[in-house]
Formats: sequence, structure tokens, C-alpha cells
Amino acid sequence: MMGDMRQSLLRRDALSAAKEVLYHLDIYLSGQVQNSPSPSVDTPTLELVEEFILHRRMSALQELQLLEIMCSCFQEQSRDAVRQLIFSALFTLQGNQADESRMALLGKLVSMAIAVGRVPILECAATWLQRSHTVYCVRLASGLVDDYCSLLPGSMVPTLNNISSSSPQFCCQFITAVTTLYDLSTEELSPPVELLQMVVSWIQDDPRLVLVTLLNTPASSSQPMGSLDLTPLAGLVCWCVKSPLAYRRDRKQGLSNGMPDTKPEAGPLFSALHLSVLQVLLLLPGVLREKGLLGRLALMQPEQLTSLISDLSRLLEELNPLQGDTQTHTQLTLERLAQALQVAMAAGALLCSREDLRALCSHLPHNNLLQLVLSGPVQQSAFYPHVNTPPLGYSPRPLGPHLSAHSPHPTSRSPHPSSYPSYPSQPFIAGMAFPFRPSH
Amino acid sequence: MSAVFDGNPLTVTMQTSLAHTLQNAFSPQELAQEIKSFISGVDQNQGRKLSVREHARCAIRLLRSVPACRGAVLEHLRGVYNEHVSAFLHNLETDGEGDGDSNLEDVITEVHGVLSEFIRLNPRAWAPLVSTWAVDLLGQLSSKHAGRRAAPHSSSLNELLQLWMSCAATRSLMEAYTQCLAAMIAWCPDQCVDALLDTSVQHSPHFDWVVAHIGSSFPGTIISRVLACGLKDFCSHGAAEKCQGDKSSRVPKIGSVVGILGHLAARHSDSIRRELLRMFQESLRPPAITPSSGSTSWEHSVQLRRAAVPFLLQLAALSPSLLGAVSAELVESLRPSVLLQLQAVLQGLPREELDNMLGLAVHLIAQSPAGGARVLRFLADTATPSIISGPTPSPHEGVREACDRLLQMLLLHLHKLVYTCSEGEDGYYNRPHSPSSQAPRVVPFLEELQSHVGELCAETLRLERKRHLWLHQLLCLLSVYGGHSVATEALCQLLTLARNPDELALAWQLHTPLSACLPGLIPAAVKRCVAQVHTHTLGPKQLCQLLLNLASAVQSVQEEERRVQGGGAGGAAACPKSSMAVQVGAAVSGHLQDFCPLLLHCDPAVSHAAVRLMSRSPLPRAASPSHLLLICRAAVTHFFLALRRRGDAAEARGGQGGEAVNCSVLLLSRLAGYSPLSLKCVLQQLVEGALHKGNADLFGGQSEDIGGDTPISPSLTPDRGGSLLDINCKFGTTVNFSGSVWSVFHAGVIGNGLKQRSPTPRPEPASVIQNVQTLLAVTVQCCSVPPGNGGNGGSARQQPSVPSEPPPIDAEAAKAMAVTLVEYICPDVANGELSWPPEEHSRTTVERDIHIRRCFEAHPVLFPLLHVVAAGRPALCYCSAVLRGLLATLLAHWEASREPLAVDSPWQLQASCMLVSCMGEGQLLPPVLSNVHEAFPYLTPFEVRLLLLAVWEYVRGNGPMPQKFVFNSEKGLFCRDFSRDGDVARYVAPIHSVLHKNIDRLGHLCWRFQL
Repeated sequence: MMGDMRQSLLRRDALSAAKEVLYHLDIYLSGQVQNSPSPSVDTPTLELVEEFILHRRMSALQELQLLEIMCSCFQEQSRDAVRQLIFSALFTLQGNQADESRMALLGKLVSMAIAVGRVPILECAATWLQRSHTVYCVRLASGLVDDYCSLLPGSMVPTLNNISSSSPQFCCQFITAVTTLYDLSTEELSPPVELLQMVVSWIQDDPRLVLVTLLNTPASSSQPMGSLDLTPLAGLVCWCVKSPLAYRRDRKQGLSNGMPDTKPEAGPLFSALHLSVLQVLLLLPGVLREKGLLGRLALMQPEQLTSLISDLSRLLEELNPLQGDTQTHTQLTLERLAQALQVAMAAGALLCSREDLRALCSHLPHNNLLQLVLSGPVQQSAFYPHVNTPPLGYSPRPLGPHLSAHSPHPTSRSPHPSSYPSYPSQPFIAGMAFPFRPSH
Repeated sequence: MSAVFDGNPLTVTMQTSLAHTLQNAFSPQELAQEIKSFISGVDQNQGRKLSVREHARCAIRLLRSVPACRGAVLEHLRGVYNEHVSAFLHNLETDGEGDGDSNLEDVITEVHGVLSEFIRLNPRAWAPLVSTWAVDLLGQLSSKHAGRRAAPHSSSLNELLQLWMSCAATRSLMEAYTQCLAAMIAWCPDQCVDALLDTSVQHSPHFDWVVAHIGSSFPGTIISRVLACGLKDFCSHGAAEKCQGDKSSRVPKIGSVVGILGHLAARHSDSIRRELLRMFQESLRPPAITPSSGSTSWEHSVQLRRAAVPFLLQLAALSPSLLGAVSAELVESLRPSVLLQLQAVLQGLPREELDNMLGLAVHLIAQSPAGGARVLRFLADTATPSIISGPTPSPHEGVREACDRLLQMLLLHLHKLVYTCSEGEDGYYNRPHSPSSQAPRVVPFLEELQSHVGELCAETLRLERKRHLWLHQLLCLLSVYGGHSVATEALCQLLTLARNPDELALAWQLHTPLSACLPGLIPAAVKRCVAQVHTHTLGPKQLCQLLLNLASAVQSVQEEERRVQGGGAGGAAACPKSSMAVQVGAAVSGHLQDFCPLLLHCDPAVSHAAVRLMSRSPLPRAASPSHLLLICRAAVTHFFLALRRRGDAAEARGGQGGEAVNCSVLLLSRLAGYSPLSLKCVLQQLVEGALHKGNADLFGGQSEDIGGDTPISPSLTPDRGGSLLDINCKFGTTVNFSGSVWSVFHAGVIGNGLKQRSPTPRPEPASVIQNVQTLLAVTVQCCSVPPGNGGNGGSARQQPSVPSEPPPIDAEAAKAMAVTLVEYICPDVANGELSWPPEEHSRTTVERDIHIRRCFEAHPVLFPLLHVVAAGRPALCYCSAVLRGLLATLLAHWEASREPLAVDSPWQLQASCMLVSCMGEGQLLPPVLSNVHEAFPYLTPFEVRLLLLAVWEYVRGNGPMPQKFVFNSEKGLFCRDFSRDGDVARYVAPIHSVLHKNIDRLGHLCWRFQL
């Protein structure tokens, strides 16, 4: 049957053949879903896809037509399972030569889906992002960033912004991919300010966006090797901690080039982001407990922490110590690190001992807060969350002012709750519903 | 876009900038509709077909809002641009008859606006994209429409440029690309230029205008990139492959490189030259240097560096303009250290490739239109072994050898080019037009060197080791190439500049190979030399050298002849040198009259050289009388000049003066022997000159006695520009030399006051005697040459100073002298008949007689001259009037003399003696009478008068008629048979009386008067 079909397809032009294959996929997979308990795509079908959709040379116009057809195809398919199957038949990486064109087509399809608001495709893409290797996820993300942040600077707000509401799943995966991609190690690998703005606004609007994937993933399911993190938390912490130093360096270069700095300030954005991240971390114990993963799932891997700290050391070395505000930026970085460590440990996102941390941070410059966090009283609660007090117990801690603490506050062991305004995000934490919880 | 962060509420407000928000304010649904419309070309809402314009607008909207459509939109825009170009060209072709769908122009403008805005806002993202698209589209458009009628041929870059830049579509693309390039140049110039060149290769000739235009906007970047790109391509094709083999595949890229650079060369030749040189120098720099400037990468690849030199050579071979641009400075930059580096780099190349390169380099040198002289000097300098050579060969030895080889190959190559008329087998010599048309091959190198012949000659003459051999060979080739004019010039230069026989030999060595293909070279060269003389381009020294060189050339002929005559063996023809020298002689002889003025040159050395040349050169076979007379006049004048100089020099140092006189004598005698006319002329001039008041003092004469003016001898007057004397002395063909000219002297030059009466220093008696002797010798020699002998045998004669057997004086010559003498001494022709009247009649001619006597008094040299005339019997007869006048005054003197003895009037006594002996010599008197003068010193004035009267009587009775002389073939002389005259006895009676009276003193003389 496949052979006959192939013969007839060969006689057609590229576009109509591709169309035919899509149609065939739709019918075939619908049948599979209905008839088979564990629907899957067989190899001949995959070969058909590769030959007639991915390998055929098409003009850009034909390709656009194909994309348009795909969009409507996914849109019209009402069954989630079938849609997912079609998507994975088309775009699941097979580790062969077709992967390149697969990625190219996928990039365009997702980009177009964002533009024309095809939520089903974005959902599929989110799943794809969960299952594919980091490298490819990052490629997809960078293509999207190029499309919407670099090439069409103006169009991002109405279009890309929409997806946070229409497809939070995709959005969460996208942020994870983006934080993996941009590690602030070089200028090229610093997130464009547009992107940063968008991410900040997304998380500000809804901090739980960050946790959508975690929430939707069954506790038992294991992740494929080399896939993206479950949450972008580690990446976001890296961004916030490194940013004072990295952007300091960038600006120095920019000034020396004599180019006018027309971009908006990244510093305040990172500041806001940091706050949001801390808030999300504070949400975490509840979520984890609910899933029964508290203390068992390290959302921030020790390796990530190690590489973050070594990056910090390198950045600190690169900086010119004689420059006036270097010290300020260093201290800001270290304080953000200390805050993140403290909260992450408290929230159960970071599972490691204080001794390990002390060893890791031994080469960093002195910072009061960091010192305090590292040497502070053994927080049993962090190690045994089931036994100990919930994170809420830490709420009186004067976290807020330290976010923009340019005048180091004398941190004392005895809290002074009365002298500080109540934590603004407190209301979020109590009794929040999770609208993204899987419905089934 | 800006973000405002206002502290506490921690919100980020985003303000999107202006238009975007409005234009992008499409809902996803609208966008989906838009995409559908774009794909189908049908308005989805109204269901009607979109016009081209609406379709394009739709595309632009999508470009702004849906990134995924970018590819499709740009593809669609290609069609729009193409359509516009078609319409544009159609419009041109139909002269605007078509309605012209030029309303697309605003769409194009719109698209351009959008693109350029994108590029401006985000160059990093858009510039690579748009630049690739624009370049590709430009390539497609220009090659697709290349065949159109309105499109000019691809070779005329400027027209193409004009056409395409007047088309909105292509102009917009070009502008967009330029904008991209300007943006990208800072961070990835390689990428965009590579794309440009790739496209250029793909659409090869039609696309060159784009590159050229871009190149002139970004000369610095484009030129170096184009070069680097070409180098990479060259290298990847394998420089080692045979040039002919893969020409088809290599030519496009290097061809484009050449085309582009060629276009840029018009306005950016400096940059190009700089870049080419930079490439050359970079390629030589030792690779140890770490990449400091990471601008271009080719410097870091050993392979590329190594290929750079061959690449540059290839490039130069393909483009004469590039070659011209770079060759001059390249040579300058080749310092010893650079050469060493070059050697080091090239050592790594395989031999075959090196040979190829060498061949190419030789070819290039031969083809380079400018700077050839410098290149040559560089090669020769480098290839010449250094003088100090240590025990071990210096590191430069390799370089030197290479240069040596290069030079030799160059010479060989030029030799081939010059001598082979047919097409060369070698691939390099492909010249499209030459086989059919017989136009001579143009070799720019030689063309240029033609103007440096003089320097080359001078260099060659330095005789530096190998160098002069090369240069000489080159001169030879140059002469063959340049034909007569160059060959003549070279030979002439060598003749002028050579300073010794060795150097002069170079001229003959040059002539030998040339004589085969350039006949008549020597006459032309000599003619050119003469021209140089005429134009006064040579200084006295050079002039002198030239004359001496010519003289020695001519002399070698004569030596050769003499040797041949002496040896007897017929080896003359075997010696090419002699044949050439004969030619020189012949050529010089044709220009003798041109050398005449030099005889009187104020520099003694020059005039000496001139007389040397003239005395040695053969006389022309057929000279026109005017020339001959000119030569004679000059020669005689020079003779007197030489005498005077000898006199002056004798006081100072001597030496050359004597030789000059000898030469002069030789010249005169040869002239005299040339023809009766010349003989007569020479003698006449000699006599006149000797008696001329300017020269009189040379021969012991007093000039004041005759004229009132002080003679100013040429040697005494400083050579003054406005000198009247100079003007009078000028030898023009029209100047008449008889008498009056010499007397055109005035009281002085106006403004300088009265002419100074400088007392003429009396010459030494010894030198007077010597002068007289010389004069007589030359006169005798002239007179005794049998006329018609021709001048050529003249040199074989012996020196005049030692006559072992005095040759007979020619009667005709003597007659000429006689006539001249008479004309000079006795200008009054009344009573000028030969026969003598009775003595009493002499009263009627007293005044004339006195004039004659004063003449004799003033010019002691007259008597010797008369003697010469007398020797040429019967010439003395023609002096009859002079003799008679002198005798008359002597008679009058002796009659009136109241001195006791004749000895008391020394001059008259001597004059009487000389007169009588002269007449005796001339056989105007029989032997008895001619001896009477022997008695005069012993007699009283009265007795002397008696005897002289007897002489008079005899001559009156037996007139001095030439017809009385008979030619005696035994002696070769005319003789007079006195027996046929009347009885002598009656004239002897007074003699006997006087003898008797004074027998006590005259006894010993009696036998002299026996009949």
C-alpha cells in the first residue's frame, strides 16, 4: 500500500504531495488512536514524511503554503492525542539527515503558529520541547528569539506576549530553553533586552508560569536524557546573579566602542526578575509537597550551582577592580547569590549541605549576607522538610529591602519584623489555585 | 522601545515605538487571513484577485509581522523586482511607447523603505539576510536581462552601471546592499564579500558592475577581500597545476577579480597598489608572527601565503593595468631583506612551479609598460656579483643567482620576441591579432627602454663585469626591435661616449650582429653624429671624443690596409672590423664638409681631433666643388691656426701642436692631390694665407708696413660673441675670400672704445724658420702630388720633412701659385704682360714697383715661395711682372746708392741675390747669368746695378715665355733650351768687366761665369 502511494506521490508536485502525506497521516493516525491501545507511528510512514515533506525541494512560497496547511490541519484536528501523534510523526528527531530540515520546518511552523495564534501547535511544541534534547530545544528557542526579538522588534509585544495566556505550557518551556541558551558568558549569549522584558513581564504577571511544566508532569515520569530542566529556575537564578557583573562588562565595551546605548536599562529588569524568582521559589514547597517530591527533587542541580560559582569567579577576575562601581556590582551579585541560595535551600529546590556550599563559595569575595547564609545556624528544616516548619516560617525575614540593598543592612540573627513592611507577595502564597493543573 | 522602571509597584511598562504598533496591530486571525491572501493572491474578504501592487503590499505587511513568511515574501519580492526591471527595459527598448507598468516603482520604494528601516533598526539580524538576498537577486537580474537589447554589452562596465543605476529596482537593491555592507563591515566583512564574490562568479561577467560599484563605495574593504578571495580560489585550484590545463575552471574567479580590480583601478589605483603590495609583503613576513590583527585570515595559512606570489603574478599577467600599477613600487620594495624572505618562501615550492613562475615573471617584465628601466637596473644590480666575495658564498648568493637566471631568461625571451616573427609556441604569447596581421609585435618593455638608450649605453660603457655583457645584449635586442632609429641612436651614443679602444670596441660588437638585419646602419649613425655636431648638443670634450673615436675607427682601416699591403696575403675581406671601418670611413668622407667648422673650433683639442679625423678619412669619391672649396678653405685656415698654436705651445709645453701641424699638412696634401681644382684652391689659399697680414708675423713679416690696422690674430682675440672678426671668419659657402674680406676691420666694436693696438709679439726667429720650412714643405708637397692621384693613396707618402729625393714640382701647381702671388703682390694689372720692356720704361710703373718692393720687404717668405714657383718651371714666367717690378726698384736703389759697398744695403743685396737665383732656378736666365748674384756681396752698388742691368737686358731680349720650355720626360720636368735663344755672350760682357775690375776679390768666382 505504501509503495503504491509513494508511486502516486512521486508524480505530484512537491506541495500537493506534501499535502497528501499530511492527509494520509491524519487518517492513519486517527485510525491508530481509535484502534490501537498504544498508538505509534510506523517506520514506513516516517520515511514517507521524510521523503515528501522534508526532503522535497520547495520554494519559499510553497513552503509557506505547506506551513499554512499544517496550521489549519492541526487546528482542525480536534483530538489531542491524534494531534500529538501527527506532530511527533513530523517533528520527533530521528537522528538522521532529515533532522536539519525537520528543525527548520519546525522553527517556521512554531514561529507562524505564534504569529497567527495557533494554540494547538504551541501545545504540541511544548511537549516536543519536553521530550527533545536540549541542543535542539535551544535551537528552536533561538530561532524564535531571532524572529520575534531581533528581526521584528515591534511585533513581539502583541503576538509573543499573547502566548503566555494562550499557551502557558509552551511559554514555560520557552523560558527554560531561553535561560539555557543565554548564559551571559559573552555578549552574544546575553538575552536581548526585548526578550528579558518579555520574560520579566510574563513572570510578574503570573509567577506560577515557571512551574507549569513541573505541575503538569506526573511525579512518576522520568525525563529523557539531556532534555531541558523541568523548570527554568536554575537558569533564571543564574541570570539574576550574574547580570550585575555581565552587564557591567558589556556596558564597558559598548562605551569604549563609542556606540550610543539606546537600549533600556537591563539592571532594573533583572532586579524585578530576581524578586519574581524568589517569589516562585517560595511557592515551591507547596507544589512539591503536593506532588510528594519535597526533598526528593532537586530543581537546582549542584552541578548548575558549581558552574554558576565558577562563572562568577571568572567574571570577577575579568572585572577591573579599580573601577569605581565594581565593588557595588560585586556586592550586588553576591547578595543575590546569597538570597537565592538561602531561599532555594529553604524551599527545597537546592539539596546540598552548607559545608558543600562553603567549599564552593570559598573563593568568592567577602560578603556579609553570604557569610551569614553559609555559616548560619543549621537549618534542620531545609534537610528534613517533612518534619520541619514550612517555608512560611521564614516570611518575617527581611528579604524585600535586600533586593535593592545598596546600603548593606546590618543583618542580625534576631529579626525585627516590626520595622519592615509585610512581604508584598505574601497573599500569593496562601491558598492559590493552580489553573494549569492538568484537567484529566 | 523603552522600559520605565518605577520602583515600588515593580511593573514594567512597555512602550512600543510608534508605527510598528499600529501596523502590527493585527490580530492573529487577521494575520492568518493575510497569509491566505498572500498565498492565493486573492483577497480573502472580498474574493477578488489582488493586483501586483496589492499583492506586494500584502507581502510587506507579512514581512513586518510574520517572521515565518520572510522567505516567501522575499521570494515574492524577487518577482516584483524582476517585473519592474522587465518593464523598465521594455520601456527603454520601445522608447517609452509601452504604457510602462512603472507604477511598481512606488512599491519598490515602499519595500526599500521597509528593508532599510529594518537594517537600520537591527543591522545584525537583517543585514546578512538582506545582503544575501539583494546580491543574489542582483545577480539573477543582471544575468537574466543581460541579453536584452537595451542592455549594453557586459564588457562596458560603465554603461552597465549607468543603465542599472537608473532602474529603480536595481538601484534600490544596490542601496540596500550598500547599507547592509556598511553595517556589516564592522563585524563580519568576510561573509558579505564572500557572498558578493560567489555571486559574481556565478553570474560572472554580468555581475561585475555590482562588485565594481560596491568596490568604489568601499574600496578598502572590497579590494583586500577581493584579493583574499581570489587568492583562496587560486590556491584551492592548485597553483601547482599547469596553467593551461585547468584554465577553464580557474579563469572565472580570477577573471572576475581582475575585472573588478580593473574597474576600480580607474579611481582607486592607489588603494589597489597598496593592497597588492601589502599582500606581497604579508606573504613574505615570517609566519612565526602570531595573528595580531584578525582581520583577514589568509595570512595565517602557510599554503595561502606561499601561493600569494604566484597568484599576484598570475593576476598581473591577466591585467596590464594592475601590472602597471604595481610594478614600479614593487621593484622599490625589493630590498635585500625582502629578497631573502622571498627566497625563503619560494624555496618551498616545487621546481616545476618555480620554473612556471620564472617564465611568468619574465613575461610580465617584457610586458610591463612602465618602469622597465628601473626593473632592469634592479635586476642588473642584484645579479651583479658583489665585488667583495668572502671565502664562503654570502647568503645573497642564492638571490643573486636567481636574478642572474631571471635576467638571462629575460634576455632569451626578448630575443625570441624580437627575432621570431611567427607566433610563439608558448601559451603566454597568445595575442589575438598577431597571426593574421603582420603588425610587428609590441614589446612594452622594449618600447619603454627605447627612450633610455642613452643611459643604457653609458652603463654599458662602464664595462662592469657581467653587467655590460647583459646590457650590451639588451642594446642589441633593443636595436633590432626598434629598427634603424634606435640602432642608430645606440651606435651614435657608443661612438660619442667611448673613451678608449676597449669601450669603442663595444660599438663594433654591437654593429656586427646588427649589420645583417639593418643595412646602412653606420652611415646613419655617422649622420646622426654629424647632426649632433650641428645642433651643438655636445660639449667640447664629448665632441673631441667623438671625433677621435671616428678617427681611430678610420685609422684602423688604413692600418689594416697597410698590413694587407705589407703582408701581401689577401686577408682583408676576412676581417669584419675592417669592412666596418671602411664603412665608417666612407660615411665620414661624405660628411667632411660638416666637420670643417670644427677645424676652427676655439678649443684646440676639438680642432685637433677634427683635423686628425679629416686627415685620416678618405676623401669623398665625388665631392661637389662647393664642398671641396669649403673644405680646402677650412683646412688651410686651420693650417695657419695650427702653426700659431704650435708656436704658442712651444713656449708652454709643445707636443700636440706639432702633431696637429703634421695632420694639417697631411690633410692639405691629400686635398691637393684630390683634384686640380682642389690643388689650385689649396695653393691659392696657402699663398694668400701666408701673405695675409694676420699670419704674416708667423713668417717673419711685418704687417704694419702695408696696412694701417693692427692685425689681430685669432689666437689673441678672446672669443667674443659679437666679434666682427668671427663673423668675417665664418666659413659660409657664399663667403668670398679674396682680399677685401680680410680688411673689414673698423676702429673697434662700438661701446668698447677704440680697438687696442696691441703690439704683436714677435715670434722667435727659430719658430719663424720652422714655420717657413713647414709652409714650404706643405707647398712643395702639394705641388708635387701628381693631380688626379686621389687622396686615398696620400697617406703612404713619406713625411715631407725628410725628402731623400725631392719629387718634381708640378708645373700646373706652380703656375697656380705664381698667379696667386702675382695677384697678391701686384694687384695692378696694367703692364702685366710677360715680356719685359726696356729698362727705362720702368719709370712708368714706379708706383707699382714700389708697392711690389714693399711687399717683398714685408713678407720675407715671398722669396722661398718664389723659389718653389721657380722649381715648377715654367711657372715663374707668370711672375714676370713681379720680378720686373722688384728688379726695377732694386736697379733704382743701386743706382741711387752712395754707399761704398753693396753690403751696406743688406736687404737690397739679399733681395737682389734671391731674385737672381730665383730667376736662374726658373730658367728665366741662362746658367752664367744666374750665377751673378754670387758676386754681389763683393761689389759696389754701381757694379751690382750693372750686373742687374745685364740681367734685365737679357730678359728683355729673351722674354720669359712658357712656350719656350719643353717637357723633358726623363726628368719629368720642363726645361728650357737656351741654345735656341740669342747669344748670351753680349750679356756677359758687363760681367766680365766687373770681374776684371775686381779680380783680386772675385778670382775664385771666375769659373762660374765661363760660357
